[in-house]
Amino acid sequence: MSLVEIKDLKVHYPIRTGFWNRITDSVRAVDGITFNIEAGETYGLVGESGSGKSTTGKSVVGLEKVTSGSIMYKGVDITSKANRNKLDYNQDVQMIFQDSLSSLNPRKRIEDIIAEPLRNFEHLSKDDEKLRVLQLLDIVGLDADALYKYPHQFSGGQRQRIGVARAVATNPKLIIADEPVSALDLSVQAQVLNFMKKIQREFGISYLFISHDLGVVRHMCNNIAIMNRGRLVEIGTREDIYNHPLHIYTKRLLAAIPETNVNQRAAHRASRLAVEKIYQEQQSKYYDDKGEAFPLIQVSPTHSVALPENIAKQLASQEGEVQA
Amino acid sequence: MAENFEQHSDVSAADLARLTQEAQAEATPSTAKIIWSEFKADKPAMAALFIIVGFILFVMIGALFINTPKMMETNIMGYFNQPFTPEYWLGADSGGRSVAKQLIVGSRNSIGIAIGLTLISSTFGICWGLISGYFNGYIDWGMQRVYDFMMMLPMTMMIIVLVTIIPHYNSVTLTLIFSIFYWEGTSRLIRSRTLAESEKDYVAASRTSGTSHWKIIFREIMPNISSLIIVDCTLSFAENIGVETGLSYLGFGLPSQTPSLGTMIANANDPNNITQYWWTWLPAALEIIILCLSISYVGQVLRRAADASQRQGAAD
Ligand SMILES: Nc1ncnc2c1ncn2[C@@H]1O[C@H](COP(=O)(O)OP(=O)(O)O)[C@@H](O)[C@H]1O
Ligand SMILES: [Mg+2]
Repeated sequence: MSLVEIKDLKVHYPIRTGFWNRITDSVRAVDGITFNIEAGETYGLVGESGSGKSTTGKSVVGLEKVTSGSIMYKGVDITSKANRNKLDYNQDVQMIFQDSLSSLNPRKRIEDIIAEPLRNFEHLSKDDEKLRVLQLLDIVGLDADALYKYPHQFSGGQRQRIGVARAVATNPKLIIADEPVSALDLSVQAQVLNFMKKIQREFGISYLFISHDLGVVRHMCNNIAIMNRGRLVEIGTREDIYNHPLHIYTKRLLAAIPETNVNQRAAHRASRLAVEKIYQEQQSKYYDDKGEAFPLIQVSPTHSVALPENIAKQLASQEGEVQA
Repeated sequence: MAENFEQHSDVSAADLARLTQEAQAEATPSTAKIIWSEFKADKPAMAALFIIVGFILFVMIGALFINTPKMMETNIMGYFNQPFTPEYWLGADSGGRSVAKQLIVGSRNSIGIAIGLTLISSTFGICWGLISGYFNGYIDWGMQRVYDFMMMLPMTMMIIVLVTIIPHYNSVTLTLIFSIFYWEGTSRLIRSRTLAESEKDYVAASRTSGTSHWKIIFREIMPNISSLIIVDCTLSFAENIGVETGLSYLGFGLPSQTPSLGTMIANANDPNNITQYWWTWLPAALEIIILCLSISYVGQVLRRAADASQRQGAAD
């Protein structure tokens, strides 16, 4: 059994208008997605901004009211608040936010920030709690003098590590990391990711790692789902996605990874333009007539793509994959 | 589970005392300390603070030693007595009543009403705004309709009608009547900031940390809008001194046998008083001006301090 099983998850935001607040339309932020997160793995969820990644992540931690579908954890559907409360669900599932400054209350000292989940879930004695906070600071490489400071006194990378410490505080099974390094400098990105990996090794935590950048995900994730306009367009292992991408949207995301080798800049640019051209011209091949992604079709035991069956098979054989 | 953390960190219980001490040495000062150092740096604001606190204490305590009914008796011998005489420090009005004593009791009444009104209406308005803004949805929608309804009522007229209907009223009932109509401005202001604040990730983080809605509203969000609350309260306080004064001036505030700053300024209704018997109204008018200026000065410093601690956390 997987750690978390997400089945046909939909989150629609009603658009209300007028004095009586009637629902006139809806934004389909997440529109029927299905995937499983295994214990101890890092699952990547990648897509452009606005594709519904954060909404998916927030649904999994229980911050978002789900329209339909289920999220199974320990055999119960945690989309219901009563079930979440019964399990003390958030003791096991925590979140790291993209904007480290806004995710730490500017009026609270670091000790109180990191201790918040402990106070609600573990009820330790004063000394045990302080000791735990100091250990957590040590684990993310911060000194004890951080204890009585405020968030704005730290750099972006340090703040994000404080966010990591808070998420790890109750020793959770799963952490939703919503673009945890997107707001950081490249050099600091690697540092924060290394702390996250170290913590994963030591505590056996799973991550749902959300990013708009396939470049960052490559070093973190075993399995990756590509999200586009509220739907999944491709699911596969790291190998499947990076070496045998099938959907044009995936190819486009791959082409968008910045090329660091100066000599290959021109070639890289040419291939990006070629992909962009196919994307513009072959909309009808990759999306249905409403412009939405097709249902997922399995092309290998690990690899699925949202394409009509015949096109999927044809593309897969071109890529030389083992047929399912 | 605790062993898990022991294993992967070098910090152990033995280090607790030492590390706590190290951290305390580096601690950032608290907001109260920042506010105090801000006052110490700004001498005029310090003076304004002493004027307000000193004056309020003086009239509150002084009024206890004055027998109001006796003071309000007409005394023909003192008819428009000149000021600065041993018996009448600030002169007397047309009833021969001491202006100085009336000023003390009147200030107590007016300031008491202003403090009560500010406390009740701001507390209510802040809670209303926080709850409405945080539970953005049906609760907010319902609360906003109540707000719209209250805004529709013509406030001054309603107060005058209520005051006329209620047979016996005093400072307390008057304060309660005013309070019904003075929370709306505060609530709208607080709601709009709460809406913005609730969107921030630290609120989401508190929710995933298992903190209850009420704790999030009053312990997480409210401290973050404290500078707005402080400014609004000081402005309301200055404004609320004017509320009672204005209505009493029009004759709809406190009954005529109860002195207040408003009834004293109403002496200026008589053109003779304005020019000839200036001492009947000028002290009250000056007092209001000085009080309101001092309050807004103190409010500015409080806001600066609240903003500074929000931005920098430390006073440099
Ligand atoms: N509270 C909300 N109300 C209405 N629409 C929303 C809300 N939150 C997100 N959306 C919309 O849902 C879509 C997906 O948003 P999001 O999950 O934040 O995307 P991502 O994280 O991939 O950038 C966007 O079009 C966004 O405008
Ligand atoms: Mg997002």
